[in-house]
Amino acid sequence: MLCITAMEFRLAFAAAFLFCVSNAHAHEAIFGWTYTTDLTPKGHGEFEQWVTGRWEKEHGNYSVVDFREEFEYGVADNFQLALYVNHHYVYANDDVPAEDPAHPGNRLPGAYETGGEDVHAGHSPVTPFDSYHFESVSLEAIYRLLSPYKDPIGLALYFEPSIGDQERELEWKVILQKNWLEDRLVWALNINYELEFEKADGGGYERDGMFEWFTGVSYRFIRNWSAGLEFWNHHEFADATVHEHSAYFLGPTIHYGGERWWATLGFLHQLPIGQAFSHDNKEFAVHDGYIFGDEHEKYYVRLRVGFNF
Amino acid sequence: MKSEFAFIALPISALIAPSAFAVQYLTVDQAQRAIFPGKSFTAAPVNLTSVQRKAIERASGVRVLRDEQQVWRVSGGGWFIVDEVVGKHEFITYAVGLNADGSVKQIEVMDYRETYGGEIRDEKWRAQFVGKTSKSPLKLDSDIKNISGATLSCRHVTDGVKRLLAFYEVALKR
Repeated sequence: MLCITAMEFRLAFAAAFLFCVSNAHAHEAIFGWTYTTDLTPKGHGEFEQWVTGRWEKEHGNYSVVDFREEFEYGVADNFQLALYVNHHYVYANDDVPAEDPAHPGNRLPGAYETGGEDVHAGHSPVTPFDSYHFESVSLEAIYRLLSPYKDPIGLALYFEPSIGDQERELEWKVILQKNWLEDRLVWALNINYELEFEKADGGGYERDGMFEWFTGVSYRFIRNWSAGLEFWNHHEFADATVHEHSAYFLGPTIHYGGERWWATLGFLHQLPIGQAFSHDNKEFAVHDGYIFGDEHEKYYVRLRVGFNF
Repeated sequence: MKSEFAFIALPISALIAPSAFAVQYLTVDQAQRAIFPGKSFTAAPVNLTSVQRKAIERASGVRVLRDEQQVWRVSGGGWFIVDEVVGKHEFITYAVGLNADGSVKQIEVMDYRETYGGEIRDEKWRAQFVGKTSKSPLKLDSDIKNISGATLSCRHVTDGVKRLLAFYEVALKR
């Protein structure tokens, strides 16, 4: 088993960033997480590399790097299709609260073990875990109904099915965009609903539902460069019906757009105002106002680089 | 904590390194000769007053970003104006030639550095502006055709010409 230190992990992450930058040449995402209604023009394509780092749980070490390679194609002026692959690297050690064997459903105070969504079933909870895992393939379709450059507000609808060896996902988004100041000031809002079917340890699939909304505002402060702020609120529903928690994130984003390529770097910090609603989440997921559990980490950083052809 | 900042600063500095490279398709002189061949030009820059600026904004519905406007009087009648509008990433510099009656003689795109929409430099797209006056709608998808993937640039150039036609009425027309 490969064991790496936190510093090695950071260096590997920085190398991943630089790899993307040095190979980048020019759909343009001005936010790290929030989608706008801008689409790849008809007959044109774009390759986009995503690298997302997320780290820090309640205890111990937990770091994940998510990779996504995406190819987008403009089918029509207002319709875009994209195909992408999702894979990730995870390192976890002593990161989740241990369950009290004498009182199932309750945590054992002061005791932690290695676990989490990205840790494979069957791994010994007393040893560190690290693994690279191919996750899924996704198809993304976006149809724009209104353009923010011609209509009072931009509006687009998004649908994305994903299929992987451990999970199946369906995701819907409503994307809104409003521009001001000669389109240099951009506000976008995404309202998302996602259904996730994850393979259960005992066979079959567990169903989860997610409702979330993202919003961001960005200003092009000098030629080619925009900077802004993003906010994300995530609600998790067990079996797509039981409200488990609500988590909040806020952070800056910076974007460079050139003639042939663009890059966006975004950072999100979880705000300590999260709310746990289910017994399981109150017991295991919430800590000092932060929501951890299987779904969230304290810090997120994302780099997206795209080039057009 | 310090190492966390270094970790973030590294990719940011790598992103900043490749700075924009300006490409100029036409100089002022070339644009003048393209629109008014064989004519001579006398610089007649205009510095708008706040009253004039407001009148232009009211008439065109387009915000005036700069009070200074580069204008040349053309021998035998007419005006040559160089202007800038906001593009997707950079400013788009273009020139508008006005006939003596204030109608558009021709427009020329002097600088354009966007990923898509290079077609706005094509004669066919620019020809849509010929003969337009301050009374023309100058509206995208109405009397001016859009170019896929370059809607922002098309709209801003269209708005720019509309603003310059209002500028003519307010500041140049005698």
